Parts: sequence; structure tokens; C-alpha cells
Amino acid sequence: MERSFKSEVAKLRLGEGETFHGEGILAVTKALLQSGVSYVGGYQGAPVSHLMDVLNDARDILDDLGVHVETNASEAGAAAMLGASINYPLRGAVTFKSTVGTNVASDALSNLASAGVKGGALIVLGEDYGEGASIIQERSHAFAMKSQIWLLDPRPSLPRIVDMVEKGFELSEASNTPVMLELRIRACHVHGAFRTKANRAPRFSRNRALERPDFDYGRICLPPATYAQEKHKVEVRWPAAVRFIREHRMNERFEGERDDIGILCQGGMYNAVVRALQLLGQADAFGVSRVPIYCMNVAYPLVPEEIVGFCAGKTAVLVVEEGQPAYLEDAILATLRRHEVNGVKVQGKGLLPVAGEYTGEVVLAGVARFLDAAAALEPIAALKVKAAQLLGEPVPARPPGFCVGCPERPVFAAMKIVERDTAPFHVSADIGCHTFSTLPPFNIGHTVLGYGLGLASNAAVQPMFGGRTVTIMGDGGFWHNGLTSGVASAVFNRDDGVLIVMKNGYSSATGTQELPSSPQHSAHKAPDMAIERALEGIGVKWLRTVDNYRVGEVAKTLKDAMTSAYRGLKVIIAEGECQLERQRKLRPETAKKLAAGERVVRVKYGVDEDSCTGDHSCIRLSGCPTLTVKDNPDPLRKDPVATVIDGCVGCGLCGENAHAAVLCPSFYRAEVIHNPSLWDRVAFKVRGLFSGTAIH
Amino acid sequence: MSLPDRPITILIAALGGEGGGVMADWLIDAATQCGYPAQSTSIPGVAQRTGATTYYLEIFPAEREQLGAREPVLSLTPSPGNVDVMVSSELVEAGRAMQNGFVSPQRTTLIASTHRIYATIEKMQMADGRFESEKVLAAARQMAKKAVLFDMRSLAQQSGTVINAVLFGAIAGAGVLPLPREACEQAIRRAGRGAEASLRGFGAGYEIAAGTRRAAEPPPPPRRATGVREIVELGVARLKDYQGAAYAALYLERMKPFLESDAGLAAEVGRHLAVWMSYEDIIRVADLKTRRSRFERVRREVGAMEGEPVVVIDYLKPGIEEFASVLPAALGARLAAWAERRGKLDAWNVGMHLKTSGIFGFLLMRSLAWLKPWRPHSYRYREEQRLIERWLGHVADAARRDVALALEVAECARLVKGYGETHRRGKASFLAILDALVENPATADAREQAAAIRKAREAALADPEGKALGSALGKPVVWLKPASQNVKSPS
Repeated sequence: MERSFKSEVAKLRLGEGETFHGEGILAVTKALLQSGVSYVGGYQGAPVSHLMDVLNDARDILDDLGVHVETNASEAGAAAMLGASINYPLRGAVTFKSTVGTNVASDALSNLASAGVKGGALIVLGEDYGEGASIIQERSHAFAMKSQIWLLDPRPSLPRIVDMVEKGFELSEASNTPVMLELRIRACHVHGAFRTKANRAPRFSRNRALERPDFDYGRICLPPATYAQEKHKVEVRWPAAVRFIREHRMNERFEGERDDIGILCQGGMYNAVVRALQLLGQADAFGVSRVPIYCMNVAYPLVPEEIVGFCAGKTAVLVVEEGQPAYLEDAILATLRRHEVNGVKVQGKGLLPVAGEYTGEVVLAGVARFLDAAAALEPIAALKVKAAQLLGEPVPARPPGFCVGCPERPVFAAMKIVERDTAPFHVSADIGCHTFSTLPPFNIGHTVLGYGLGLASNAAVQPMFGGRTVTIMGDGGFWHNGLTSGVASAVFNRDDGVLIVMKNGYSSATGTQELPSSPQHSAHKAPDMAIERALEGIGVKWLRTVDNYRVGEVAKTLKDAMTSAYRGLKVIIAEGECQLERQRKLRPETAKKLAAGERVVRVKYGVDEDSCTGDHSCIRLSGCPTLTVKDNPDPLRKDPVATVIDGCVGCGLCGENAHAAVLCPSFYRAEVIHNPSLWDRVAFKVRGLFSGTAIH
Repeated sequence: MSLPDRPITILIAALGGEGGGVMADWLIDAATQCGYPAQSTSIPGVAQRTGATTYYLEIFPAEREQLGAREPVLSLTPSPGNVDVMVSSELVEAGRAMQNGFVSPQRTTLIASTHRIYATIEKMQMADGRFESEKVLAAARQMAKKAVLFDMRSLAQQSGTVINAVLFGAIAGAGVLPLPREACEQAIRRAGRGAEASLRGFGAGYEIAAGTRRAAEPPPPPRRATGVREIVELGVARLKDYQGAAYAALYLERMKPFLESDAGLAAEVGRHLAVWMSYEDIIRVADLKTRRSRFERVRREVGAMEGEPVVVIDYLKPGIEEFASVLPAALGARLAAWAERRGKLDAWNVGMHLKTSGIFGFLLMRSLAWLKPWRPHSYRYREEQRLIERWLGHVADAARRDVALALEVAECARLVKGYGETHRRGKASFLAILDALVENPATADAREQAAAIRKAREAALADPEGKALGSALGKPVVWLKPASQNVKSPS
């Protein structure tokens, strides 16, 4: 695991009336226990990984309560697990990143929503939208509408989020419908406080077993049950939900003196709206606003009576709805029309951008235009203009990239070297840290179609080329679905391509969670599930394993795969432990040895500044953050020379690259011997006599 | 008592892995100790993998008791023009903050470390793609209400800690937050691990920001020779060291016609000529790698303490090219031509991990350096001198027409550098420009010709793969045949 969650686990123990301080997603985790869940599952992904991470570290608390925690193999698996709440009064929750996870889960979600639930079922969605998002930009809202799953979008304050989790379960049970709770990135990571309640032991749990199975054909997805389910959704469950939302005041209405206008916003947008009003002098620091606000903590379904009640009699309202299509704005317009409230002008996407994140700046601009106060925006524009003038040109972009010593980087260096000899080839990329290969300096990878779908996305590309193509897949993607949708299909269809499986041992991009093939496992996971055996079992005949850091070997193996007479899927397992995780284990060990006076050899790479000519070809093959440039110490040269700065973990890639690509002789490997033995010291004195390198 | 009408807003720009999240936690803890409502948000995601990221905090500077049941509404995103404290862990990130409108002269205290961590696109150019630090510093002084700028990374290194501790100290010391020093230090202590080192870094940052201690002067940039005299002196010394007095005399001889003309041109020619004449062949590399000063530099760079042995292993991979380069000229030429024809230039390189700090490795390396007297008879020597003469001839010709044009031609020498394939590519770019724009120019106008040369050279330096140069020259440039053509999938 990327980090230990010991202090967070302690927060899950808080009892009645204590104060929780921490992140939004941890508050949700605590709220699940307060709600008496019987089971929790999920699949890691920013920004909700911590929910599962913390629960995995909180086994003793969960064991006391009898709560089952499942690390699901995919989001589909997580959503399907909610099936436990169909027949039984079990509260359950799962979490994943949206919309990518929701896409994967949607088969199970549709079936779940159609069958309906007896026990409260909650899906906690990390809405990865806007700045910092690493996925395609779509809305979860569409899933809610198409399957009739209720969608909560709480305003980002911890007490409100916790309340919505608890109410979410009740809503789910009152309307026999699963409920989604969407939290945007910043809301997941918002640090705040709330007053806790005691954790509730579930009615049925690992400790208090169900007595007998419950059969009800009405919950099966075959006709005629499916027809009845659809009717039940719209005739019974939907009205029940609307009634519950109204009665429990899940949406909030904040009155204001300017009753001729108003703002309707998603719960998640509330703080940005209030800030905009504050900056325009229309609200105070505590959110007391002159402009009335209707805050929709439930984004779906809408409560028509509340909307009509808020809008009626006003001349204009603004809908602040992040994302597109503008489902809310359209629904509000339709609702008002249906209720013959025709005097109010509904504005939204006309004043705010149709697409993109609604940051503070964007919402301010929209609200200012709505209030005819656009002049307030001029100083901001002027600031940017002045800065741009002073800076002369835009500052360089700095996207995320491979970590120092990352074991995936050398594979792409090798690929670049191979491409110099062969013609360039098509590379189907996948999702994981390795997607960074698409960025400079590598720019490798032509398409990304989904997690674990690299090989599947190559299926029609391969036959269209005369030569072979290459697919990248991570070990995370492999277990997520790459084994079946990719490998099994490729073997079955006699695909002739080359697959590189990046085996770094963890689900690294999401926080180094354990995978079935991780080198070590915590006690509650099965050990010894191997990618190699799975591949052999599925019928892969051409299988090689390479040590990533031996760039020459990797290049040679890849060339072999590209030229082999063997027809069929060729798989190269590129092995190298995630350096983040490796260093996390190594550093304390080394520190302990050093403190104990034991002999420790520290490896660092370097560049001889007088033989480096400053052409930076090494950097174009690496991109390592510690391989960088510095002013040329040679007074006759201008271009900066390469240098290896502190932080180098001694992975050896720069030296290997220099070798494999025949770059330059400037790289050296230095081994510093801490706490040298007597033999070390004598040997060095003797050698020093020859070479003038005696330690001084 | 009246309440503040708005929260204090703090935006922190950092790079993944610098502990920005920990710093945000310290700030929240310190604010909470003071009884102030506070909130932080972040967008870690994948940005934590070395990319640029931000943390945003709001502190409402009134104690909870004063507020009663009222709760301030705090924003999750910063808005331009409304940031009180802009913190940046690196200089260009401060530039990015200004670019995005987060630094305002009316309101913002900018606290930024002045060190640079170069982005990949800055480092990967063949020449110098670095963003000008001076521009960011100048902008910072104009854009911020108050600017606290010093090298926090080196201060962190001196204090044996991470940059976040120094930044936190600088924030507290700048006196713009209602957080007393004790509360901040208490927050660090409560977070545990590494607290002592963090407190040292915090203290150092605090004192500099508070003005009770001066930040260390940044080390002066390395000396850059500019005047003709200085350059020629350096050139002579360099070539004496490289090949002896006669070779240095050849340098002076070659410089003579230029010394009488434009001083600026003479300086550039003198610089490039000295560097080119001391080209890096294996003899030179072996010589540089076996100098005592080199081993001392390595010890310094890897931070070896007194009494700690350092093993130095060099990565060498000589091949046909290197072998041919030291052969007698005629023989070397035939071997090199044969290898190029057959695509074998890189085919038989022998990878060596040579322990230069050991007796055997040292002697092997040193013995290559002893080939120095042989150098003038070698194939590479002849080739380099021919190309140098050709280049100098073109510079001199151009100088008779237009000094600016001559400067552009002279600057093209910058393309010929590196080793192995990089060197071949650079040389190919150089020859392509010579051919297309110097020897067969499309225009008779010296100014236009100079502009075309500059454009082509910059394209070649920015994109060493040669695609940009191809379009600058108006034709596709096919530099090199693949080293081996036999890599094809069986059909």
C-alpha cells in the first residue's frame, strides 16, 4: 500500500458526539459504518481509493461489526455485489471512479435497478471531472436517468455529506431503488469536520447470518417480471422517492431578499455559487445571500413541486449545472412549462460554459453576467494580460509522468530503440501509469480505449498492417478484464500481435493497491496468483519474461517477438517492481542498517560534465525527473549539460540506455560504501596508489 | 465585535512528491488549534506522479466561539484575483500561478522557491530549452503585493529535510496568516515522523521570510567567456591540453583572419572552433575520465563523506565507428564506409562496464588516453579537420557579404555534437543546412538567407528527430537508413 491508514482507521472508531476531522471520502466511510452496512466493496480509482484502502486497514473494527469487505476485481464486480440487497434486508455500499467505473459496472447496475432492492444499496461515485481528472469527461447523471437510480450530489460540507449517506440508505429502502452518491474530486479530498454517531452493527452480518434464502421470481430479469419491474419503477418507486426527498428536505432552499430572481444549483456547486455571490457583494461570509438559492442535493429525481415553488413569481433564474448535456436545465424548463409557470426566464448554459469544470472563476463569471455585473470581471482579465506580458511566453506545461526509477520507463526506452531499427509500429495503449508513455519524451501509444482493453482495441488494427503491432497492458488492467476480453479473445481468434504486460506488482496509478499477482499479500488475500500461469492456462504459447531495467534485453526480446516465425499471440511480461512501493520498503531498511553501523552500498548515477556535449539525447530516451540539465561549466559552451540530481534511486536506466542506444560515454555508476569494512579501506588505499583515487 | 467579512485564501502550487499534502495538513492543524474554521482541498489524482498540482485552503480568521451556530461557507476552488497567499514550491510554478491570475498586486503575498526543476519539454531539446528564470522573478516582483523569494530547496537540503517544511516556515514567517509560530511548530510535532528535521527547515524558512536572517546568495552562474581575447586564451589553453602546442598554434592560425574583422563574429568563431577542434574521441574521453579531478568531482556529486570509498563504473560501448576513428586515415575511411554501406555502424558495439576506480579498469582507460600522440594520424582527425575547414571557409565567405549572415553560419557548428548516432544526426543536419542554405541558397539577399539558416538550425535543435528541419528546409529529410533492414514480420 502506498501509505498506512492507521490514524484514519482510528477515526472510524469515533463514538457518539465526537468530532471527526478529515477528508470527505473518509467521512463517507465513517458514515457507512454509522448507517449499519452489512457489506462494502469497490474498485480503486482516484478520488475514492481511500475508502477501500482505509477499510482494508480496519479489519478489526469490521470484524467486530461483522461487516464484509470485498476488494472487487472490477467495478462490474462491485456493482454486481449489490445484488445481495435485492432479496435481503442488507445495507450495502460499493465505490468506484465515475464515469469509467460506472461504464464498466453498468450491466450490473441496470439489472440491480430493475430488480429493485430490499436493503439500502449505495454506490459512492468519485466524479472525476475537471482539473486533475485523468479520464474522459462525461457525467454520471446519464446513468442515473437511464436506469432510474437516484443520484445524490451533496453540497460539499462534511456534515451534509454524512447526512446524505445516512439518508441515502433510507431513501433506497423507502423506494426500493439503489442510490448513487457522487462526490467531485475536491469534495472527496476536502478536509473538514463533523459530529460523529456510534457505529451500528448491521441486522444481518458475518456475525449474524441470514436464515433462509428468499426466492421471488418478480426480481429476475426475464419476462414478464421485467415488464412489471419497469412499471413498478415509474408507478411506485419514483413517486415514493420524490415523497421521501420532500418529506426529509433533502434539497435545501435558502431565502433571500431579492425574490424576483434566484439560483438553482447542483449541491456540489453550492459553495462556488455562494463564493461568487460574496465576491459580487450579494452574500456574506456565512452564505446569507440576497439572491435566493435552491440547492439540489438530490440531482435525480427532481421534485417538481419544489422547483415550481421556488421559481414561480420570479422574472429570471440561473441554473448552475456542471457538465453536459444540460439534463437539469432541460428538466427544469420542462417542469415549469408543464406547470404553466411561464413568466420566469430560465438561464444556464447561455451564461455559463456548456462544457468543462465549473471552477470558482467560471461560476463567478456566470453569476456576474446573470446579475448584470460583468464589469467585476475586468480586473481579473487585466491581471492575466499583465502576467502574460511580463512572462513573455506561456510557461512550459508540466504533466504528470513516470516516477524516478519507474520500471515502466525502460520498456518505452527499449521500444524507441527498436523503432529506430524496424519501422515505427502501431501501439495500442491501455490505462495505468504506463499511459504516460503517450507524453514527451516518448510519445508512444496511438489509442487508449479503456482499462484492460488495450489488446481488445488492437484486434482490428493488427490485421490491417503488414507487420506486427504492439499492445501495452498493465497487471492491473490484466486482472480487471484484460485476461478475458484481451488475451482469451486474441488466442481464440489466432491474433498474431505482440502484447507487453507491465508487471510492476500493484495497481500503482491508484495508490499501489494489491493485485492478485502482487509480490506480497495482506493476510485476508489469497497468495500466489500468477499472470504467467494464467496465460499458459489460457493457451499462450509464446511467453517471455524480461527484467525491465535491462534495456538491451527488452529491446532484443521485443525485436524477437516482432520477427518471430511463430504465428499467434506473443506475450512479453515486463517485470519490475513499482519503484514507489520498493522505495517505501527499502528506505527504512537502509536507514536502520546505516544507524546500526552496517556496511551499505548506495548507488547513484552521474554524468561527466566535461565529456557531456549537451545534446540531451539521453533525456529524450528517459524523461526521468532526476536526469535533468544544468548550466554548462565549460566557459566556451552555452548549451546546458545533462546531470543527475539528488533523488536518483540508482535504477540504472541512464547507463543502460547509454549502452542500448549507444548514446555517449559520459554516464557513470558510483557506488558509495557507507560504513566500509577494513578490507574496503585497504583495497581503496592500494588502488588509489595506481589511479590517484585514494580516499583522502 | 465585528467578524471578518471573508476568509483568508491560500493556494499552494507544488509538484507531485514534494509533500504539499502534508503541508496543507499542517496548516489546517495550526488553524484548528487557533480555533479558526479551516478547509483544504486538493486534486492529487495522477498529478502526484511528478506533475504540477495544487492545494487550496481557506481559513476563516475568527474563533468558533465568536461565530455561535454560524458556519462560514468556504470555497473548494481558488478564484483569480482572490488569493491572499500564493505559495509555490518551484519557480516556474510561480509563473504558472501568475499566468492564471492568482497573483494580484492589491492582495497577494507570493512565497516561492527560486530553484528550478525543469519540465521534460525544457530538458529534451538538443540546445537550451529552459524557460528564463529571470522573467519569472521580474514578473513576481511586479505582480505580487509582497514577494518572498529564495532558494528553499537548498535550504531544505541544508536542514536535512523536505522543501515543504521550509515553505511552511516561510508562510508562517511572512506574517500574513493569523497563525502564531508556536501553533505551526506544534502542528509539525503532532504529525510525528521526521518532526525534528522538519522543525529545522521550518525555522530556517521562518527566519528568512520574517527578515531576521538573510537567504544565502545564490551561487554565481558558471563563467561564460564572451570577449574575443578571453575566448582565444581559453581556446589556446584547451587545445594545448588536448593535443599540444602545435595544435594550439593551428587554432590561432585559423583564427587570424577573423581577429581582424568584427569582434562579435570573431568571438563566436573562436568559441565554436575551440570546442570543435577538441572533439570528443575515445582518446579524449579516456583522458578526461582518468583525471584525478574527475574522481574528486564524482565524490562530490554523489555526496561521499570523508573515508567512504567510491567505486566508479563507466558505461562504454565502443563499436566500429570508434575503432575506425583511431585507425590510420585511409584504413579508417574504408572501414567506416564499408560499415555505413552495410548498416553495421552500430552493429558490433561492445558494451563494457569498466570499473575505472579499479586498477585494471584505470590502466585500460589510461592506455587509451596514451594514444594522444597518434591522434593527428587518425581517420577521425582528418575528417574533423576537413569539415572544420569547410565550415570556416563558409563563415569567412559570408563575412565578406554580411556579418549577421556569417554569425548564422558560424552558429551552425552548434549542431555537431554528441556521440554515435546523435553525432551522425547532428552532422547530417549540419551538412543539410550547409548544402541547402549556405552553398546553394535560394535567395541572394543576405538577410533572408541568414533568417532561413537560423530557422533551420533552430528547428534541428528543437526536434532532433529531424521532422521539423525537414519542413524548415521545405523537403523531407531522410537522415539515416535503418541500421538493419531485416526486421519484418514473416508474411
